[in-house]
Amino acid sequence: MATATEEWKQQAKDIVCDILEIEPDEVTETSLFKEEHGADSLRAIEILAALERNFNITIDQSELGGMVNLDGVYTVVAKAANWN
Amino acid sequence: MTTNGHQQLTPEGGAAPDRRVVITGMGAVTSVGVGVREFLTALRTGRSGVRPLGAFDTEGFAYANGCEVVDFDPGPWLTRYKPEELGRATQFSVAAARMAVEDAKMDLDLLSSGKVLVTVGTTDGESRDLDHLVGLQLAEGEDGLDPVVARRVPAGRLSVCIARELGLSDVEAVTIPTACAAGNYAIGYAADAVRAGEVDYALCGGADAVCRKTFAGFYRLGTIAPERCQPFDINRKGILTGEGAGVLLLESLDSALARGAQIYAEVLGCGLNCDADHPVAPNRDSIARCMELAHSRAGVSPAEIDFVSAHGTGTRANDVTEAGAIRKVFGDSPPRTISIKSMIGHTMGAASALSAIACALAVAEQFIPPTINHEETDPECDLDCVPNVAIDAELRVVQNNALAFGGNNAVLILSRFEGASP
Repeated sequence: MATATEEWKQQAKDIVCDILEIEPDEVTETSLFKEEHGADSLRAIEILAALERNFNITIDQSELGGMVNLDGVYTVVAKAANWN
Repeated sequence: MTTNGHQQLTPEGGAAPDRRVVITGMGAVTSVGVGVREFLTALRTGRSGVRPLGAFDTEGFAYANGCEVVDFDPGPWLTRYKPEELGRATQFSVAAARMAVEDAKMDLDLLSSGKVLVTVGTTDGESRDLDHLVGLQLAEGEDGLDPVVARRVPAGRLSVCIARELGLSDVEAVTIPTACAAGNYAIGYAADAVRAGEVDYALCGGADAVCRKTFAGFYRLGTIAPERCQPFDINRKGILTGEGAGVLLLESLDSALARGAQIYAEVLGCGLNCDADHPVAPNRDSIARCMELAHSRAGVSPAEIDFVSAHGTGTRANDVTEAGAIRKVFGDSPPRTISIKSMIGHTMGAASALSAIACALAVAEQFIPPTINHEETDPECDLDCVPNVAIDAELRVVQNNALAFGGNNAVLILSRFEGASP
């Protein structure tokens, strides 16, 4: 899918906020899901699954380690979708 | 629930000693054979129940092997129900219960004249029917729902339908939902009830049917093995979902001797705990405490345990954590520790019931079932898992582990019955 960068990043951010039950203004690109937003390993898997469905991509489970904040999510999604 | 330390009051007001509890009948529905004799042969020969899953459409999953029960006809085991009136897990539990009664040569009139407990553990109940109903609703709307299937859904039926099928009326029928440890919970509860004299007989165990929801959940967690289940192996890749049922008939030793029953094994005790530490990860210290509790309830020391039938799912997390707990309790030379999940996959609520049946067969027949698919033991586990081939062994006391999500642990201790055989 040829989505403008800002648009797909916004979608990814909305997914993360929805799953972590936080407001968009509470999260920054570097705030940590686990330490600052109370996420656990199952929430991380939920985020991964929702990103896969939304962007129609496959994210290897080994990428979970890098998905600690929005920056990490953007990197992993871009790599999985070959948007680099 | 009573504890072994408690004494009940007799009608005369004096204290009656706790009864000894024995297993006199067993029924098994498994992917490696139906019936206790067939299950025994499978355990002795290390049979594998793995095949591509056929219960649901597996398109979209990169791999989808499992351990399904194939060619099972519930018809011959049912007199009061038509097969289509029962969900698949209930078909398994009712069939296994009737098998246990027949295996025990228990007269149905005698059984129904006593106080009976029926208790069945499960993870999913009839989620397979729920999967089906949701599919119908999505495809056809609410008018497409099937009333026959909808009536099969309540999980209480896993136990209640056994009572009705066998014509029991003075009965407590309860389904225990402690997931992957539920079989041991059911057996432990039943043993307590018989020991205390609250019931004369108990039919206890567990049942589950493969369903899409559970496969998809484990798949998403990254815990499903692509091909086979390899507990304690350095290259293990996870679980395989399975299905089936195991039901045991328990009665007091006096009752068994009075009717000249065969005795597979004695139930010495059961330890239960819940740490509620993590949704899916097992907690080593909590598991160790549960084993110690079981030993104390059974009145045995760790040195007396001749082998452990492990929870042994074949995931990286379970096997290392469980092995660590075993070392904590047993020290540097733990007993042989096997996983029958290598053969029948993870049968969820049925898992520890079928494992208890395997333990009872092991002490009755004096052999240890193997852990199949084993190539190289993970040094982090460092256990003798009786790789690939069953061995003959002198067994007296054996331990059956069950660990469930949410930190529900249940450990059962059985022993060879060493009294006079009838």
